[in-house]
Amino acid sequence: MTTLVVVSGGIREPSSTRLLADQIAAAVRTELARANSPATSSVIELRQLGRAIMDAMLSGVPSTELEAVFQQLSEADGLIAVTPAFNASFSGLFKLFFDVLPEETLSEMPVLIAATGGTERHSLVLEHALRPMFSYLHAVVSPTGVYAATADFGSPTGLTQRINQAADDFSRLLQACGTRRRRDVFTEEISEMTRLLSSTKPGDAYDPSEPAG
Amino acid sequence: MSGMQFGIFTVGDVTNDPTTGTAPSEAERIKASVCIALKAEEVGLDVFATGEHHNPPFVPSSPTTLLGYIAARTRRLILSTATTLITTNDPVKIAEDFSVLQHLSEGRVDVMLGRGNTGPVYPWFGQDIRAAVPLTVEHYTLLRRLWREEVVDWEGQYRTALHGFTLVPRPLDGIPPFVWHGSIRTPEIAELAAYFGDGFFANHIFWPSSHTQRLVQLYRQRFEHYGHGSADQAIVGLGGQVFMRRNSQDAVREFRPYFDHAPVYGNGPSMEEFTSQTPLTVGSPQQVIDRTLGFREYAGDYQRQLFLIDHAGLPVKTVLEQLDLLGEEVVPVLRKEFQIGRPAQVPDAPTHESLVAGQQQ
Repeated sequence: MTTLVVVSGGIREPSSTRLLADQIAAAVRTELARANSPATSSVIELRQLGRAIMDAMLSGVPSTELEAVFQQLSEADGLIAVTPAFNASFSGLFKLFFDVLPEETLSEMPVLIAATGGTERHSLVLEHALRPMFSYLHAVVSPTGVYAATADFGSPTGLTQRINQAADDFSRLLQACGTRRRRDVFTEEISEMTRLLSSTKPGDAYDPSEPAG
Repeated sequence: MSGMQFGIFTVGDVTNDPTTGTAPSEAERIKASVCIALKAEEVGLDVFATGEHHNPPFVPSSPTTLLGYIAARTRRLILSTATTLITTNDPVKIAEDFSVLQHLSEGRVDVMLGRGNTGPVYPWFGQDIRAAVPLTVEHYTLLRRLWREEVVDWEGQYRTALHGFTLVPRPLDGIPPFVWHGSIRTPEIAELAAYFGDGFFANHIFWPSSHTQRLVQLYRQRFEHYGHGSADQAIVGLGGQVFMRRNSQDAVREFRPYFDHAPVYGNGPSMEEFTSQTPLTVGSPQQVIDRTLGFREYAGDYQRQLFLIDHAGLPVKTVLEQLDLLGEEVVPVLRKEFQIGRPAQVPDAPTHESLVAGQQQ
């Protein structure tokens, strides 16, 4: 069973960002089911975590609720990330969430990027803002993202077709990537220290079996 | 002073008192630190530890100068740091400074090493923050040799070579100061402390306790792995942060403006959220006792408990009142309670005397 997590940065209720997120998630599940690789998806609504995300940024201490969300995301096989386009970029809240997310959580994770906006003139926000950020976070970003302008929700503009195309690409990416190798920074850091300590030059070496003080 | 040690650690920040809008001068802050340390001894605490900082708004840039002055005016108090920067200080100078302090204080000194988390301090002292971890290992292995070997021949990557170098003065009674390694959140430091069988101090106060538990467990396992003893014999210290009044509602009311404007977490989570997520306790002495005794449940029986009580612009008079409460009502109970059920094989907190005795065996 493939576990998908959807991060929705929508602010209003109801939210067109959430609507797009749900449509994409459903399309991806359908594609995966067709490929005999059934999937479940759960949604993280950033609005509900707004204060916790800001508090974590300011104090360095994530709330219990936020830690649970970090855990949920770290255990996912794939991420569908959807943000409203604000001022030629992702929303501040969307960025802040990924800024407080523990390092390497998204490492090697397939990600489908999507955004909503008032008009289609903002569609390159996918390529100029979302794709570079997720690449930087060592995610594997699916080649096809989805951008939905307000007008797309009320006219036969091919949004469904674009969602299906992106879902098809993403499901093939998920299957090709296989089971995700999760990075464990905690263990990696210990191993690095163990390596450094064991490679201290002769003479520097200290017999670690000497009893402690 | 058997069993556990209790004390305070200070950051040494010069911060506006949010209730008056005024900050002490640097001179006043330094003298307040001395005053707080003397009071700590007077009320029966065991340890005073100072931070090390090289930028405003902090004053303790030269910890051994401060500790030397306090040593001259105390008789019993153990002087320590939280932390001494092993990355950006020359290990030769650390060895020299602490050797002199050890002689002057007649052994009442230990040191807590840390990497430091203020980026620009690295370039200011000619180091590269990207090399912080290998730098820590190189500097610390050199420091150990300086304290243990009469004549040191050494070559490394980050410091000029030493040939035929002898540290003076030699450590008091041939015993180097006990070393703690302080960590806020990095597991590497737990591994380093475990490898050498040194003490591990978890800062504890800026992180959910589940993470502190994981760090301490790691240190204990690795301590055993490296053959220094069983996991419950590893030497653990924890930070804590308290504000007390006899009536807990008074404590909450008085501390809130300081919490809300504190440089580290101010304008972020509410005091109630922060107290539930971290060891911060704002309330009565009994609440502090209960909370502190709870640390043992996830850290195991440990050796040193340090409290942060003098930050965020709290007036020195208030801090001294906190020390009175710690000394009169909290620490005597903690000493007694922590002793109950403490397995016999769990070591007491290390002191110069215990290290000398250990050497003679």
